[in-house]
Amino acid sequence: MDDRIWLVAGTILRAPFTGRTVRELVYCGIGGLAGVAGFFITVFSFAAGLTITASILGTVVGLLLLTLALLVSRRLGALHRRTARWLLRYEVAAPQRFQPGKGILGRLDRRLRDRVAWRAVSYSLIKLPVAAVQLYALALAGFGLVDVSYPVLWLLFHHNSSGHLVALAPLPFGGSLYIASWPGTFLAALLGAACVIGAAWLARGITAADRALVRGLLGPSRISELERTRTLAVEDSATALRRVERDLHDGAQMRLAALALNLGMARDKLSDDDETPEVATVRELLDAAQRNAVDALADLRDLARGIHPPALDNGLASALTTLAASSAIPASVTAGLGPRPAPAIETIAYFCAAELIANATKHSYANEIKVNIHAERGGVLRLEVCDDGIGGADAAHGSGLAGLAQRVSTVDGRIDVSSPPGGPTLVTVTLPLKA
Amino acid sequence: MRVVIAEDAALLREGLIRLLEDRGHTICAAVPDGDGLLAAVAEHHPDVAVVDIRMPPTHTDEGLKAALVLRSEFPGTGVLMFSQYIETSYTAQLLEGGAAGVGYLLKDRVANVAEFASALERVAAGGTALDPEVVSQLFRASRRRGGLASLTPRERQVLALMAEGRSNSGIAAGLVVSAGAVEKHVASIFSKLGLPPDETDNRRVLAVLQYLGSPA
Repeated sequence: MDDRIWLVAGTILRAPFTGRTVRELVYCGIGGLAGVAGFFITVFSFAAGLTITASILGTVVGLLLLTLALLVSRRLGALHRRTARWLLRYEVAAPQRFQPGKGILGRLDRRLRDRVAWRAVSYSLIKLPVAAVQLYALALAGFGLVDVSYPVLWLLFHHNSSGHLVALAPLPFGGSLYIASWPGTFLAALLGAACVIGAAWLARGITAADRALVRGLLGPSRISELERTRTLAVEDSATALRRVERDLHDGAQMRLAALALNLGMARDKLSDDDETPEVATVRELLDAAQRNAVDALADLRDLARGIHPPALDNGLASALTTLAASSAIPASVTAGLGPRPAPAIETIAYFCAAELIANATKHSYANEIKVNIHAERGGVLRLEVCDDGIGGADAAHGSGLAGLAQRVSTVDGRIDVSSPPGGPTLVTVTLPLKA
Repeated sequence: MRVVIAEDAALLREGLIRLLEDRGHTICAAVPDGDGLLAAVAEHHPDVAVVDIRMPPTHTDEGLKAALVLRSEFPGTGVLMFSQYIETSYTAQLLEGGAAGVGYLLKDRVANVAEFASALERVAAGGTALDPEVVSQLFRASRRRGGLASLTPRERQVLALMAEGRSNSGIAAGLVVSAGAVEKHVASIFSKLGLPPDETDNRRVLAVLQYLGSPA
């Protein structure tokens, strides 16, 4: 028990002499000053932006100023993050890079909704009280060091004078300590030592708090991090499926085709007219083997198509055309696509169309199906599948539609069903162009 | 018959060479990609080229692109596309310049050596060889078009076989009917599609083209 007390006491007393404390105090100084400066820059730029925006005439200028303020906040955030890395060796990953929108309004809109910038703003505001504590901790350490040096100072400058020294107090109130004799300076030194130890632990505490703020507000946000990893996961699985399909094509399917060819050649060598029992048996066996090979090829083809339709390699429009051509109900496709969507999005759109066409075929009694796919402004891909059938499709009860909704939601897409009794049925799937 | 083969899988390439040489054809060249195909055709001017669709470097539609170049630059060379898949958009592109000297077969069809070889011979001679799967896809796509709707199921069958490139006797054998019956069906198809007897046009090709929905 005694040992523990001494251990704790030793840790507390030794704190000021560690490199970590020195680094943290330096950070308190530089980071604190930067924090105060950042706070005022933020407050002034936003005050200016908001005031001008509020006045009717200055809305445009004000919005531009606000945009500028957000840009500055983003930069300030980066500066604070780098300061923490430089002085505390505290690594926080950079947040998402800014994704500029298209056109002046698009750019403005993206800037104003830049989540990273707004989080940096909140950091700048919260940082003011933190910076105050940090600067106080630094000052406390400075005062303490001066006090600790009093016995030496007294010997050097005051040993034969009748003046007195004033010990620096850690608090701005409560009066000062006047020292008139050399032994008295030891009281000041004791006070100073306490201040230094207190400052070391104060710095440690406030730095820990600041670190948490830097990580929470200046790093990648949980949401954007989740979005990023989800995009990776979705794209990964699309790539993996494509690879599986290609392996099938270059492996099993190719070998089976070669097998079918060899069996065919073997069968070709046997004359149809030879009635010898052995030859007839071999002929029969070869015919069966051949049929099996061809059936296996057909099965594999369907399987591969379900994994990754090869026509998708040439784009959605081409793949949907092939899909429509194999529909039991006449289906037509119109497409208006610009740059190609991400592979994962193409795959999802394709399988949505396949499922919707299959649904219409099974349940709608329609005479025709229309598939329309086009890219819209703002990076949106819209797929519409319309049939002139009996209607009554219900997203809540049709398990197919529910499954689609689930699939679409993995990329923040949505699915809308309009299917009044008596028809027509229109299902609209909206997807982002990028996963 | 002089043949150039473009197929990236060595196993199938060797198999095709053996199959065709067995039947007395000459293989001028066997190459693994589209560029090699164009060079080989330019050098040998073969009667027909067998072209795999998915080849390096992109493994998507290299073969189709090369086939389209062949169609426009070497009209004397028939092109038989040979693939694991039937894609409607590929068929449409391939048939854009007419159906003469064109084939599109699933790789499965090599199982029947004699039929595969005769399809290749038809294409080499300027005829057509379309996979039954191609035909059924196109048939669904063209079902709503005018005159075709008035055909009886039997006439549709006959027209589908015509689109595969078969002669009347070939159709008769396929449907197990007499040649005379086939002739009757063919005449009826021509009249329903509004193709009057005319010495200059090949009504057979016109009927098939109307059926396939490509410009005549």
